[in-house]
Amino acid sequence: MILELLAGNLIHGLLLGCVYGLSTMGLSLIFGVLKVINVGHGPFIMVGAFVTLAMVTIFGTAPPVAIPAALVVGMALGFAFFYTVMRRLIKAPEFTTLLVTFAIGILLQEVVKFTFGAEYRGYNWEVGKIILTITTIPMTKVYASIGSIIIALLLYLWFNKTRIGTAVRAVVEDSEGARVCGVNVDRIYALSFAIAIGLTVMSGVFLTMFIPVGINPYMGGVYTLKAFVIAVLGGLTSPYGAFFAGLIFGLIENGAYVLFAQIPGVAPFSLTVSLAFWMLFLLLLIKPTGLLGAK
Amino acid sequence: MLKVENLESGYGSMQVLWQLHLEVNKGSITSLLGSNGVGKTTTLCTILGSVELWGGKITYEETDITHLPTHKKVDLGIVLVPEGRHLFVNMTTHENLTMGAYPKEAVKHMAESFELVYSLFPILKERAKQRAGSLSGGEQQMLTIARALMTKPKLIMFDEPSQGLAPKLVGEVFDAIKKMRSEIGLTILLVEQNVEASLNLSDYVYIMHEGRIKAEGSAEEIKGSRDIKEAYLGI
Repeated sequence: MILELLAGNLIHGLLLGCVYGLSTMGLSLIFGVLKVINVGHGPFIMVGAFVTLAMVTIFGTAPPVAIPAALVVGMALGFAFFYTVMRRLIKAPEFTTLLVTFAIGILLQEVVKFTFGAEYRGYNWEVGKIILTITTIPMTKVYASIGSIIIALLLYLWFNKTRIGTAVRAVVEDSEGARVCGVNVDRIYALSFAIAIGLTVMSGVFLTMFIPVGINPYMGGVYTLKAFVIAVLGGLTSPYGAFFAGLIFGLIENGAYVLFAQIPGVAPFSLTVSLAFWMLFLLLLIKPTGLLGAK
Repeated sequence: MLKVENLESGYGSMQVLWQLHLEVNKGSITSLLGSNGVGKTTTLCTILGSVELWGGKITYEETDITHLPTHKKVDLGIVLVPEGRHLFVNMTTHENLTMGAYPKEAVKHMAESFELVYSLFPILKERAKQRAGSLSGGEQQMLTIARALMTKPKLIMFDEPSQGLAPKLVGEVFDAIKKMRSEIGLTILLVEQNVEASLNLSDYVYIMHEGRIKAEGSAEEIKGSRDIKEAYLGI
């Protein structure tokens, strides 16, 4: 019985892990290229959720239609924040970049609250479900996972098969080396930041397809934390490491829920939420370079 | 080909270069010599634009390029083989070379460039699929030079290409530099601490001391001048 429950939850974990993976790629990309930790990461996911909400409730479209919109909104925000703020911070001390990205997060939260209000919202999208003996999987979750995988693959191809994508990898490895190859490093910074934010906002769309309720301006915080754990797990600078670490995190989180539920007198949900902290703590203690992609 | 007048630059509030002038003739090998910390690397980086220029004028092939960003200068055919290599160690040798051919003009000639660098450095062809970080020190230095050649340069600036190499490899690197001039027709600006080897290789020599040019002359003149050698080069 518990094994069936565990197996069922692990399937959900794997599906959610794909979305977690995608939602962390942007964080890793920004750290890799700009050496900046985006503490305002979660609020960009929240923006993605509100883009979805707006598309569904105002324009009446299906949630996946919000994906291109999220990419456009995300990249526009990315370019705007880069050219107004981030560009000045490339050689700034870490503490400054932490404060500024934290401030960007607060700004996003408050602007969204001002525009949409602070109440919890949600939407409904029924597209059927897959019924297995051990669990039932709504098709929305399947679509969200497949969408995340497709976008991660497209990013992989862009990095490895295109001239500009290769230049981004070159800048991640050695920006001075890239400069003497004739790469306009400042433009690569801007483009990478915009793409990273675009990815993050898009992952917000997929997250609402997973959990279409509880959309509110402050929903991002928990995802910032999860993304940090996943990014550290994946070795911080590698977007693919982040994607695979996302899968692992999804599996552990959902598996742990079932196991925690077996302990009498324990609220499994809150214990699962704290799990991310424990994982970060253990990781930094045991292998601070990350489990995957570490050099 | 390259003319630098009254160049001044530095880091933060510390000035490193003062009223620096130098000229590199087309097809020549020009050396910039001097002991450690006199501003040789800063000179090259300021010419290329990776260190901010405070004043002066840089002319390249009759065009004023003083305020062009680095990547535009690379597009025009100026390239630097940097000190410390700055390779992309997690990419393969082949990928590193492909990155070298990043300028639009270089992309068009990528196939010829590959032929050229593989004929100059056959070992790199054998290492094509290997990670750059796994190459030996000498191979990495060759890869750095080869990557610079992939940009289709006309003027190539070397920053201490012999640094940290075994004596046999130093010879190979200097031979390669000679070939670049004689066989490809490149113009070369060389910064070196290996004074003897550079004097033998160069047509014209500038001696730098405390951020200024203190002496200049043909390689023969410098070799013949005991004063200059004693005062600035310590030999």
